Amino acid sequence: MDNKQAYYISAKDLAARGLDNIPDQLQSSKHLIYSSPATLSFNSPGAQGFGVKRAGLAVPGSVMLLVAPGCCGRNTTMLAELGDYADRFYYLLQDDTDIITGRHLNRIPEAVREVVEFHNPKPSCVMICITCVDALLGTDMDRVCRKASAVAGVPVLPCYMYALTREGRVPPMTAVRKTVYALLEKRKKKSTTVNILGQFAPYMDNCELYDILHNLGVKKINEISRCADFEEYMGMAEANFNLVLNPETRLAAEDIAKRLEIPSIELTRQYRLDKIHKQYQLLGGALGVNIDDSRWMKETEEYIDGFRERHPDLEFAIGECLNADSFELALALIGYGYKVNEIYGTVSGENFPYIRQLAKVSPETRIYTNLEPTMLYYDCSECKADITIGKDAEYYHPDAPNVPWNREVQPFGYAGLRTLLEEIEEAI
Amino acid sequence: MKGLLKVLSPFAPDQSGAAAVFYDMGCITVICDAGGCTGNVCGFDEPRWFRNAKPIFSAGLRDMDAILGRDDRLVDKLRLVAEKTDADFAAIIGTPVPAVIATDFRALKRLAEKRCGMPVVTCECTGTRLYDIGEEEAYMQLVKTFADTSAEASGKSGILGVLGVTPLNISSIDGDELIRQHYKSQGYDEVYCYGMGAGLDELKLAGCAEKNIVIAPSGLKAARYLEKKFGTPYELHYPLMPVNVAEAIKGIENARVCIIHQQIAAEAVRQQLEQKGCDVTVASFFEMKKDLRRAQDVALETEEDYQKLIEEGGFDYVIADQLFRRAVAADCYKEWIPMTHFAVSGKLEEAQCAL
Repeated sequence: MDNKQAYYISAKDLAARGLDNIPDQLQSSKHLIYSSPATLSFNSPGAQGFGVKRAGLAVPGSVMLLVAPGCCGRNTTMLAELGDYADRFYYLLQDDTDIITGRHLNRIPEAVREVVEFHNPKPSCVMICITCVDALLGTDMDRVCRKASAVAGVPVLPCYMYALTREGRVPPMTAVRKTVYALLEKRKKKSTTVNILGQFAPYMDNCELYDILHNLGVKKINEISRCADFEEYMGMAEANFNLVLNPETRLAAEDIAKRLEIPSIELTRQYRLDKIHKQYQLLGGALGVNIDDSRWMKETEEYIDGFRERHPDLEFAIGECLNADSFELALALIGYGYKVNEIYGTVSGENFPYIRQLAKVSPETRIYTNLEPTMLYYDCSECKADITIGKDAEYYHPDAPNVPWNREVQPFGYAGLRTLLEEIEEAI
Repeated sequence: MKGLLKVLSPFAPDQSGAAAVFYDMGCITVICDAGGCTGNVCGFDEPRWFRNAKPIFSAGLRDMDAILGRDDRLVDKLRLVAEKTDADFAAIIGTPVPAVIATDFRALKRLAEKRCGMPVVTCECTGTRLYDIGEEEAYMQLVKTFADTSAEASGKSGILGVLGVTPLNISSIDGDELIRQHYKSQGYDEVYCYGMGAGLDELKLAGCAEKNIVIAPSGLKAARYLEKKFGTPYELHYPLMPVNVAEAIKGIENARVCIIHQQIAAEAVRQQLEQKGCDVTVASFFEMKKDLRRAQDVALETEEDYQKLIEEGGFDYVIADQLFRRAVAADCYKEWIPMTHFAVSGKLEEAQCAL
């Protein structure tokens, strides 16, 4: 490969190498992380979408005290301009001495008290967001939070924005998902109440999952983002079971199961029609009921047929800043008869099974990673893209129509697939 | 409480300042972080990046890299990039992570230069300090490493150097062009805006400039160094003015005014107002250099300092970034004249003119 060419590997070659032999170029720990607009959500999840800071404020009525050097709160200036977040961020800035000695810990309870007295109305709880500095200092933030709670008279919880542990056992976005449910206290169960766990924004209103659950007799479906107030949030403890729609919420669900004895069922977001159907059947099996999803399946199937007639030959490039697993989405599009020439994604154990399948159905699909330094030399003329999906993919093919597919309202199931195709059609 | 911000949000940190100075230098910039600091620089504090992304890399540090101090790994990763680019040098910028683990930047520089075969400059930023400190260090590292008098041999003359030109200081991504035009109209053949536009080749000629202009406090230390080493005189002067401020101050006379900005920009506005009999206080959360500071000027440290200054200062006019406005009662001044400071609000000035 040319010294000045973006590194890629074909799906066939990557699958042949196997999960234990992923090239260094696709492993972020083996090279510097290249920063392009395509990598922004990797490098700074707090700046775009739901990073730890925004996610920590998912509890209704909560405020956040960011305890960190000024640099860690800098991009929050942007967040504070978003309507729901203005006035909910506070900062306790660490100085040079703090980051060496940890003396800032003594000031936190008093700072929390000041924030609680200042904020009107009184916050339901205070989230203390700490960063790499306290990760390295080994701060026992649980203890500090208990002390702060005693001083301020409101619940105080830690949010760990530890970028250093991004690929660790409990990455920051997994930890914060656990934190936001930590205030729930055991309540009497209601058999007709279900929680949907996974995201910090609601799932799309027209998602068939709501109808399916209602048809099963569920009367109340809780999502943290739809809780109007703290009491409604606390009502999530009454759920009969949790539906986990994002694997990053697994730890939170396990914690809820342990503390509140609410079991969970995990579903995966998919874009392959047969897999969506199969998953609903499996859900029915787990609940001991029959789920009839034929109406939505048929409607979606017909939509796909029509879409194929209208757009028989499309070639795609797929990024990773989107509400999908890039590789699963590629498999889906290939299954619907299209070509996927390029994927800009992060290879992991979770998605490697998809890569093996890709190797069979589209062996020459190029797999790039946004993070690798040679992406400096990416040349869009090497590969055709009639349309790109994902905000990052747009960066590489600026002249092709783009579907960002990264809205905060979350797609799922047949409705998600249909909406994606509608947006592709609009973009074309 | 010192360090507690209840209304304001943090200003641009030192690593953003350093990265801004290196941005147009054609170097490999490595931010020694876990990823978030780089994201802050690229996604927020470097407005040029979305228009013209330059090679900025994150070291991608993970917990064990920090705990074990694996600098050699960082250098190996840098070497991989150096082999595949035409960059003339590399710049490594610190963040809170190396600050906590006390990374030896001198050793890191030597190791990196040896293994990568190119000059390496380092800035020991900590993320706890403000952008102007980072800019100041970056300028110093650059002039100490690269500035010489080679232009004399090449016969170049009529050079004016301008220090402190970064979007963080001038709140614009094309204001450097206005600055060049302004000084060229005064007879200079070449105007090098270090930080915006001028690259390493121009920086190497810094020792031959006829004069340096310092438009922000962050450039002053480097100007003094160049004066000492090469005898280059310097002047403090801010050549730009936001159009709305220029318009607004036309109608102000004999008033009490407070200007909050980077010190040299604020001073430029003060000089205009003083010609009209105004009593002007300059305040700043950033460096206030003695050269320009007057008895009434205020170096702000805390949110409370700022609130007290405005609410008890009895000012008719406040000229400052809009972000500051929300922290004070609206009835404690007569009129607020917005003067955007990118390092404060992350916003760019809508229109500027040369003074």
